[in-house]
Amino acid sequence: MKFFRNLAALAALLPATAGITEAMAQAAPLDNPSTLTIVANFSTGWVRNFNPYNETTRLYSAREFAYEPLIIFNTLHNGRPHYRLATGYDFSKDLLKLTFTLREGVLWSDGQPFTAQDVVFTYEMFKRFKALDTLDIWERLAAVEAPDAHTVIFTLKRVNANSLYELARIPVVAKHIWSKVADPVTFTNPDPVGTGPMTEVRRFTNQLYVQCRNPHYWDAASLKVDCLSFPQIGNNEQLLAAARNGKLDWFGAFMPDIERTYVAADPVHHRYWFPPGGTVAVNFNFDSPNPGNRAAFRNVNFRRAVSMAMDRRAIVDIAGYGYPIVNEYASGLGRLYQDWVNQDAERQFGKFAKYDKDGARALLAESGFRDVDGDGYVDNPDGKPIRFDILAPNGWTDWVNTTQLVVEGLNAIGINVRVSTPEPASWAQKLIQGDYDMAINGYFTGETPHRSYDTGFHSRFSGKTRTAPTRFNNPELNAALDAFVATIDPDEQRRSMDKVQMILAANSPYVPLFSNPIWYEYNTKRFKGWFNADNPVARPDVFDGTPERLLHLLALEPVNGGG
Amino acid sequence: MAFLLRRVGFYVAAFIVAATFNFLIPRLMPGNPVDIMFAQAGGTLPPEALAALKETFGFIDQPWPAQFVAYLKSVFTWDLGLSVKFHPLTVNEVLLRALPWTLMLVLTSSLIAFAIGSLAGILAAWRRGGRFDSIGAPIALMMQAMPPLVTSLLALFLFAIYWPVFPTGYAYDPEIDPGFTLEFFCSIFKHAFLPIVTMALAQVGGYLITMRNSMINLLGEDYIVLGTAKGLSDRRLRMAYAARNALLPTVTSFAMTLGASFGGALVTEVVFNYPGLGYTLFQGITARDYPLIQGQLLIMTLAMLTANFIADVLYVALDPRLRKG
Repeated sequence: MKFFRNLAALAALLPATAGITEAMAQAAPLDNPSTLTIVANFSTGWVRNFNPYNETTRLYSAREFAYEPLIIFNTLHNGRPHYRLATGYDFSKDLLKLTFTLREGVLWSDGQPFTAQDVVFTYEMFKRFKALDTLDIWERLAAVEAPDAHTVIFTLKRVNANSLYELARIPVVAKHIWSKVADPVTFTNPDPVGTGPMTEVRRFTNQLYVQCRNPHYWDAASLKVDCLSFPQIGNNEQLLAAARNGKLDWFGAFMPDIERTYVAADPVHHRYWFPPGGTVAVNFNFDSPNPGNRAAFRNVNFRRAVSMAMDRRAIVDIAGYGYPIVNEYASGLGRLYQDWVNQDAERQFGKFAKYDKDGARALLAESGFRDVDGDGYVDNPDGKPIRFDILAPNGWTDWVNTTQLVVEGLNAIGINVRVSTPEPASWAQKLIQGDYDMAINGYFTGETPHRSYDTGFHSRFSGKTRTAPTRFNNPELNAALDAFVATIDPDEQRRSMDKVQMILAANSPYVPLFSNPIWYEYNTKRFKGWFNADNPVARPDVFDGTPERLLHLLALEPVNGGG
Repeated sequence: MAFLLRRVGFYVAAFIVAATFNFLIPRLMPGNPVDIMFAQAGGTLPPEALAALKETFGFIDQPWPAQFVAYLKSVFTWDLGLSVKFHPLTVNEVLLRALPWTLMLVLTSSLIAFAIGSLAGILAAWRRGGRFDSIGAPIALMMQAMPPLVTSLLALFLFAIYWPVFPTGYAYDPEIDPGFTLEFFCSIFKHAFLPIVTMALAQVGGYLITMRNSMINLLGEDYIVLGTAKGLSDRRLRMAYAARNALLPTVTSFAMTLGASFGGALVTEVVFNYPGLGYTLFQGITARDYPLIQGQLLIMTLAMLTANFIADVLYVALDPRLRKG
């Protein structure tokens, strides 16, 4: 009993200690810089790693915010350049030399001048430490030199217009700091010296860190936010809780029924905008281990029938809560790149991308697919059965629900298919190794549609990466994709991209379903200037991998003009 | 003595077997760390990064025998290598970030559950059939059956969201800087309250029932009857004779809990956003971070075997019958 008495006494102390803590918190000095609270990724505890080349524990505020890119290309506006550390670029006539002109007067955050020597040093460092070369740029680069302090000339091994986008975004680090580092691969760069707007780390704990204004920032006139605050958030549920309480300013997450869960908590200030992003599609394995399935997948009419059985509108509304954008392009182009559309290809093959259950059944029937063995499902014309699972990564609920609707659509036209949800690691492994029949998959985005198609269907990636599991090898397609990057003439590029789309539309090697939304939610309570549907300046998300977030940061300012 | 030596021999053998399994099983899972990094990164990690990543993580690509030798060495040098998922942190650093919090949570909640459960079990057995026993024992069983996830979520919802008495997450208030200040310790206490209480609640039922059952078995023994006949007080009989003997099974289960503490408490950590080893191991497994998985499993094995060994030693101290041989 004495034990319980003591416990009661302890419990009585609780409100007292709670009170003490509150009082102590309020007594902290009120030094009030305008602070933007951001959640750019989930973490179970921050690691003080500002090394911009580390792919595992790097803080997602190192690139763009601490280390500024040379040029930012605006994906939402056809790749229009915004010049940052560089003021211009120039291709030589043979397209093998790319010259960047660097901006004058740019300083590192410790006051030292930023020059072309830093760029050369950075690339030379990649040569010595391959682990830092995260774009494997030396596979395409022959040499880099700096004829003077504000000019850098890159010499390419072969013509590739895309190299411009790559070279413009690789973070450049300071020669006078990194030349003294013994092992830059494991260097965590705890106090970054950068060219970006936010380089000073004011506070750092596992649960929260604050990154503040660069005292020598070259574009300080455009920067109206003083500090960025990054609370540690572990999963979607915690993110939703913090967002509902109005604690976050800028983040991106999938929120089921967002009007009710997020906006309703503060209808005036809680906003969101989901512009179209990368394509999500169903992949066929042209080299499926099962001969019956393989024969079916290699038949273009079977693939077209699969495409016509997809009720994309229902998939988007039910599985995606209406957030994604339907992709009914025969070539799978996607709304993000609508300016590049090949109208001819869409006219000829567009009907195969629209929901038409009866048309699908008819197409299967007239191609010879019928129920030979009497099990209620169609088989190959030669009698081999068609039976498989479609893979979706476990835990990615919107994709899993999408796959279930896909299966319903396929069962309705007589195809014997079920859902299988392996762990994401296993799903990725099976796609790479070709140990699957059908799967749901997502594609990359880039400044132009080339990146998505190239990483998806060029033979050099085929069977080696998760985004190229189809194993559809078409030399004409390879040639058209290569021709696109062999020139910087917009008309020639347009012709190549038209050809790419025509080949894909005619062959339907995959079944695009929708464009994944770009997750972007914001809070107008403390800051204004946000990008949204009425102000679509650039891609608005705060994720690492979207350089445009720097432009977004510079567009923001405090609501009350200060503090 | 011979008894203890036999036990030590058994534990060494158990350790060797466990260590070998800890090495093999993670590597038998399909998938490898680099491919998984691409799968989980979605659109941010371009396929060109493959070369750079293979270069960074070359240390896990060596043939298994070489890795096994390095692993065995690490048992003695305590250098568990570089983590893959948390590169460039070493496995030691990753585990140390979470270890103090996990130990605090698990040890405190286990001690509280053990103390309360055992005392209540003694009371329930002594007044067998009485009011406390008829109500307490079924309630304990019900709490034991309730999944810890349900208890945690209920506690979070009721006491942190609906009535915001306690914070919803974190180990301490993010606004406070860690240091030896009263403010910091108060914050830790406040943030640890709900996790500790929910974890204690999940275990208390087990201790209560175990203690009650072993006490009830003993209450019919001759020496208890003799003690009552000789006029010993209720309390002395209950504590010094019956409870002391009934304690033995509970001690074993308590030792096992302590040993398992290095595995963390995954549910509590996820619900309360608390740093801990459970979630670290979970992340290591999904990322196929072999050095982290085998390092953590090694520590868990050692902890479990040590705890069992201590339980054996305690048994010898508590139970004179074992001292004879």
